[in-house]
Amino acid sequence: MKLSSVLRLPALLAATLFTTAALVEAEHTSNWAVLVSTSRFWFNYRHLANVLSIYRTVKRLGIPDSQIILMLPDDMACNPRNAFPGTVYSNADRAVDLYGDNIEVDYRGYEVTVENFIRLLTDRVGEEMPRSKRLLTDDRSNILVYMTGHGGNEFLKFQDAEEIGAFDLADAFEQMWEKKRYHEILFMIDTCQANTMYSKLYSPNIIATGSSELDQSSYSHHADNDVGVAVIDRYTYYNLEFLETEVRDTSSKKTVGDLFDSYSYEKIHSHAGVRYDLFRGGAEAARSRLVTDFFGNVQNVEVDGTKNTTLEEDMLALSKTIAALRQKANEEEAALKKNTTADTESKQVPLQQKKIQFAKPLTDDNWWTKKIFGATALAGCAALWGLGSYFEAPRR
Amino acid sequence: MPRLLSGALRLRRDPRMLKLPPYLSLLCILVGVVWLFLLPLDEYSRRTYISENALLPGQVHTYFGGSDQNVFRAYKHEVNSLVGKSNVEINDKLESIVKGLGLKAGRQNFTYRSAGRVYSGENLYAILQAPRGDATEAIVLVAAWENAKEELNRNGVALVLTLARYFKRWSLWSKDIIFLVTPDSIAGPQAWVDAYHDAHDSARVDSLPLKSGALQGAIAIDYAKEGRFESVHIVYDGVNGQLPNLDLINSVVSIAGGQMGMGVAIQEMWGHNDQYPDRLRTMLRGMLKQGLGLASGPHSSFIPYHVDAVTLQPFGDGWQDEMAMGRVVEGTFRSLNNLLEHLHQSFFFYLLMQRERFVSIGTYLPSAMLVAANFTIMAIALWVKSGQPEGEAEPVKMEADGIGSGETTRAPAVERDLFLPLGVVTICQFLAVIPFYLFNHAPDSMLTPAFTIFAVINTALPHSLSHLLTTYYTPSAQQYQLIKSFSLLLLGMFLSSLATLNFSLAFLVGLLTSPLTFMRPWPQSPAMRTACTVLLNAVSPTAVLVAAAFAWHLDINTVLREAAFAWDVCGMYTPVVVWCVWWPAWLAGSVTVLGRPEVGKTKQKTT
Repeated sequence: MKLSSVLRLPALLAATLFTTAALVEAEHTSNWAVLVSTSRFWFNYRHLANVLSIYRTVKRLGIPDSQIILMLPDDMACNPRNAFPGTVYSNADRAVDLYGDNIEVDYRGYEVTVENFIRLLTDRVGEEMPRSKRLLTDDRSNILVYMTGHGGNEFLKFQDAEEIGAFDLADAFEQMWEKKRYHEILFMIDTCQANTMYSKLYSPNIIATGSSELDQSSYSHHADNDVGVAVIDRYTYYNLEFLETEVRDTSSKKTVGDLFDSYSYEKIHSHAGVRYDLFRGGAEAARSRLVTDFFGNVQNVEVDGTKNTTLEEDMLALSKTIAALRQKANEEEAALKKNTTADTESKQVPLQQKKIQFAKPLTDDNWWTKKIFGATALAGCAALWGLGSYFEAPRR
Repeated sequence: MPRLLSGALRLRRDPRMLKLPPYLSLLCILVGVVWLFLLPLDEYSRRTYISENALLPGQVHTYFGGSDQNVFRAYKHEVNSLVGKSNVEINDKLESIVKGLGLKAGRQNFTYRSAGRVYSGENLYAILQAPRGDATEAIVLVAAWENAKEELNRNGVALVLTLARYFKRWSLWSKDIIFLVTPDSIAGPQAWVDAYHDAHDSARVDSLPLKSGALQGAIAIDYAKEGRFESVHIVYDGVNGQLPNLDLINSVVSIAGGQMGMGVAIQEMWGHNDQYPDRLRTMLRGMLKQGLGLASGPHSSFIPYHVDAVTLQPFGDGWQDEMAMGRVVEGTFRSLNNLLEHLHQSFFFYLLMQRERFVSIGTYLPSAMLVAANFTIMAIALWVKSGQPEGEAEPVKMEADGIGSGETTRAPAVERDLFLPLGVVTICQFLAVIPFYLFNHAPDSMLTPAFTIFAVINTALPHSLSHLLTTYYTPSAQQYQLIKSFSLLLLGMFLSSLATLNFSLAFLVGLLTSPLTFMRPWPQSPAMRTACTVLLNAVSPTAVLVAAAFAWHLDINTVLREAAFAWDVCGMYTPVVVWCVWWPAWLAGSVTVLGRPEVGKTKQKTT
């Protein structure tokens, strides 16, 4: 009866938790953005313009340069072919110079490699790596990962030389999760067959979206005939359009769901995809996240004594575990009883197949009353148990 | 399976197998020719497309126009004032103009001698250094003072000067731009390109005083026409049938035809309805030009150096003016400026049959290869046949005895007498040096008489050779077979390797020599012998040369002078193919036809 002795533990734990736990809510405390263009050469001007326009947007919504990792493999502004030296535009009207006078490129030229990208995400960098080139996130950081370039089925080309696979990316995110390097991630990718790139992700709390399905190309939006090249891709263009018109400042209440709903085949000319299943709470929770949760800088200050999100989460997780263990113990006991009558062969099969039922997670409504009920019940049980054991001891 | 194998083995011994090769050869030739005629069909040709992503043709606004029109008129005036002056005086003036624009200028003298004539002149060129580029690459804009037809290229030269001034104003060049004005269309560009790559003979051509980076492309303007034009003619044939990368032609077609909305023509097909006959005509014209291998314009000399180049010629009466032509050049230069590396993505071996339709080497090569293969098949067949005893009746009888007897009772291979056949073929090959040397070194005035004498000797030569052979050596039928076998083997080898370099030349020569496959001695039938001799004389190199000159209304003197000039200056190897591949094969074939093999000689030897 080892399991039944385990059952004593949760009661103790619950008791201890109740004494210390401050009641809190799940939120992030910092916002980071990793913006990557993976292609070089003049005719890929649009990829750099894509990234720079997202860069401009996240900066506009408050993410500081210190929390943006910008990877640009080529320098379009200083390309001799550029008719407007020192500038990069993502629109033929050339209203906004994306290169401007305040831009911080963290990885440039041949530094933009698959290795550096994965090292950045997983923070496996050498001592000498400056802080500006590191992703200094923790388990309370929301990260926007935006990538663009030339891709194919489950890969994205880096600089004509190498490529990152969908599995590499998935494993990198999993490492991040294990190392508690993020709270939630919004992964956006604009490339041909983009949706295949996030198909292999398996880590929790990731919302992923891409510009096109398997075997679909992503297209450029328009060309600037004076620059002489296409200046932006369709998917990025319409994302920007939404961000510019609907999310004017950090107080915007537009949700990620609104952003995704703005995509249409007529606009993008390919089927943009969204993946919610990794996100805790599924589509509903993911869609209700604010756009500014990822694109903006929300500074939730954590003050001691106020609600603590992680503790509450831990409590929830703990209550789940308790329920699961109880269930398991009951089953095992039942199985043992059965064992005396049934033969050994039939015993093991149902045991293995039986799924562990989790307790329903607690919800916010009547939280206090439920907690008190639970606490009194547990305390009563503990008292009964103590009383029982006290009474039983002398008989022996 | 073993039954099949033994069946196949028995088939191998079957004497009827030896009767097959002539038919097989004939089939090869027929299929080869029919193949060629299928190419213009939609199913076998493809639409052209831009392979190089960097080119982005027609994606830029072109701004050449407006006040540049006045600049052009001024330069045209300057050019007009230079007409009739000496090469040096012209270059003095042009140099002062380009130096006034702030460009570095250089001059280069060249003197070529060919067929007793002297071709000399002075090239002038100016380099516009890319304002923000790194001077490792350059593109060239060429205008010859006189075009290939020796017309004065007034608008072309004026346009180059105007464009030089206009390009100087842009800061977006990633490559240097070289403006080259040559006195003529062939020798001048050749001298300049040779010297640019340090591949020149310094006795004839001066070194360049000024250089830039590796040449990435060249556009030549041949604009002798006055007044407005309708369409642009793209001339793309290089020396020895080498072609520029198809992407360059596609870019020009896309810019001129797509962006500027003017017509585009190739191969002097002024009207093209994109139907089968027009496509076929375009393709055949292209093949003929490729086969001749002559330089067709100032661009031709660039192509052997792997510098993709075309000449643009305005033609027709329309509403396009010089500015439109300038914009085509501007657009093309903007595309070339976008290049990150040499044009390499698209095809170098192709046949164009319309400006937007082509076949690539994989599709058309089998045609010439089949024609070349027919010679090899026949050569092998003759070799096998020469090893078998004469009188084919015997093995046929033996076969009737039963299965397997063919193997045991097969007559032993006859010893081949190789000395005489090898000697004859070698002598024929070496004799080829005589016409080759003669026509490349005879002075201009002597070319026609030399050719006439050679043609007469050429007709008599097989007879005299044959007479010599029969009187002194009395060759057997086997030896005649071997002469033919070796000669055809060489021909097949030469032509199949040539097909990969210059498809059209290999195909044309293969077609003209195809009768040689079926030539054999006719000891019993003087009528057949005469008929074959007449046929062979009709397709002899000299007769074909005369016929071709007649068909194009050229005198034979011009043809030979041009050939000698192309050989001396551009390194065109067509004369080598004609005199050292075609002519020896023809000679050996003629000797075979006239042969009178001594019947029974082989048998005596073997016993």
